[in-house]
Amino acid sequence: MKPVIDNDSAPYWEGLKQGRLLIQRCPSTGRYQWYPRGHSIHDPTAIPEWVEASGTGEVFSFTVIHRGNTKRPPYNCAMIRLDEGVIMLASLRGIEEADLRIGQRVRVDFEPLDDEITLPVFRPL
Amino acid sequence: MSGIRNKAAIVGLHESPLRDAPGIHPFRIMMDSVLAALDDAGLALADVDGLCVASGDWAEGGAVESVTEFADYAGITPTWFNGTDVGGCSYLVHAGHAAAAIATGMAEVVVIAYAACPRWWPLTTPSFDPFVFPAGPGQYELPYDPTLISAYALMAQRHMAEYGTTSRQLAEIAVTFRRHAATNPHAKMQKPLTAEEVLGSTLIASPLRRLDCCLVTDGGGAIVMTSAERARDLRRKPVLLSGFGAAVRRTQISQIPEDLSTPAVVSGQRAFAMAGLGHKDIDVAQLYDAFTITPLLALEDLGFCRRGEGGAFVSDGNLGIGGALPCNTDGGGMSSNHPGKRGLLALIEGARQLRGEGPGVQVEGAETALVHGLGGTFCASSTAILTV
Repeated sequence: MKPVIDNDSAPYWEGLKQGRLLIQRCPSTGRYQWYPRGHSIHDPTAIPEWVEASGTGEVFSFTVIHRGNTKRPPYNCAMIRLDEGVIMLASLRGIEEADLRIGQRVRVDFEPLDDEITLPVFRPL
Repeated sequence: MSGIRNKAAIVGLHESPLRDAPGIHPFRIMMDSVLAALDDAGLALADVDGLCVASGDWAEGGAVESVTEFADYAGITPTWFNGTDVGGCSYLVHAGHAAAAIATGMAEVVVIAYAACPRWWPLTTPSFDPFVFPAGPGQYELPYDPTLISAYALMAQRHMAEYGTTSRQLAEIAVTFRRHAATNPHAKMQKPLTAEEVLGSTLIASPLRRLDCCLVTDGGGAIVMTSAERARDLRRKPVLLSGFGAAVRRTQISQIPEDLSTPAVVSGQRAFAMAGLGHKDIDVAQLYDAFTITPLLALEDLGFCRRGEGGAFVSDGNLGIGGALPCNTDGGGMSSNHPGKRGLLALIEGARQLRGEGPGVQVEGAETALVHGLGGTFCASSTAILTV
């Protein structure tokens, strides 16, 4: 499903097209936040700044969806805890279902869907 | 923090016996239930000045302004109304808000009605639900095609890895609720279930299988509330709303705290504090059972066991009759009735237990019931404590 890009999210999607995973950091507390917003959830008076994430993290949880909303072969969704401490939903690539495990170290990769949208996915380190 | 403790009572209730309702519009089931619940209370439609409806989601028959649509269908002009929709626990939220309205004189007789007919509903109505709307917070997740069940599966998988919970422990929850449904003549599923059957059922989103999931039924019900004072003169034994709490937080499962705690922690604490009761005072519980992992997490969030110990709690037989916390005594959403937003039906069963009218199993002499629901994927929570 194609995302509707808005002012809050435009830098994120633009970064992905250039192969960079951008997340936000609160200038007042130094803490990171996911997902992108116009304000800091750690200090609502602060305007978050965009920073490039390390791109590495670990699998916090995962599921393999065998029966989904559409007919397609089983696919996974995973919660990835980036080394910056935020957790995002994404897909894991390059790993068999039987080998999936929580705590697996992963690194971001970039999958273009079309000219406008590139999705971050994660591969085992 | 007594708040609205014992200010308002459930004085009438009705759960539609329907589980398959081909061709019947949900508003018809709601209206039949409203009239039956009013009759149960000894009240008439003309007495109603308050209405709570949240029927704008898929298969619920209405649109975003469904409280207006249903008032029109019913042919009434309520002067206090609430269309709050936070998913499955909306009707528990309505009960708390209705009690506040009754306590302050904003409303005198409030009906809360709900029905949905997902088994035959022909429309694929575009929804504002964040789970299907790839804008705002949803734009970061929908491209990966998560399903509603996958959010619960992510919670279950993590709970297993972090705390050692097993699929068999989850299965025990489904088996217990099915045992309660066996004697409920209206329950959709009454045939006994074994843990092996649950563990052998089709994998939907690992680790959750088909029999870890709630049913999809057509159905609904209604509740009538009024002041505790007026309730004393009505037909049925009043069931007092003694404690109430609600909380909303997050739309994405990825943003759950790392210990997997949900807004139920907040709604539960508030409900217990308002009621002035403790966990050992609760005779029977109705815990929203969208999936087997759901009531397990609720037990931890509400403090019936410590975090991480939900698996041991459910496999010790605590949820059955004679256990520490008999739960989902009508069979719950997993075996009796789950049209989509079960909160109202759980509230009805909580009140039925305190009236001694449980259609499945009855906790003898039950005087306190805890009813807990969630909305979305642990986005909203509401907890009600009922007493007689």
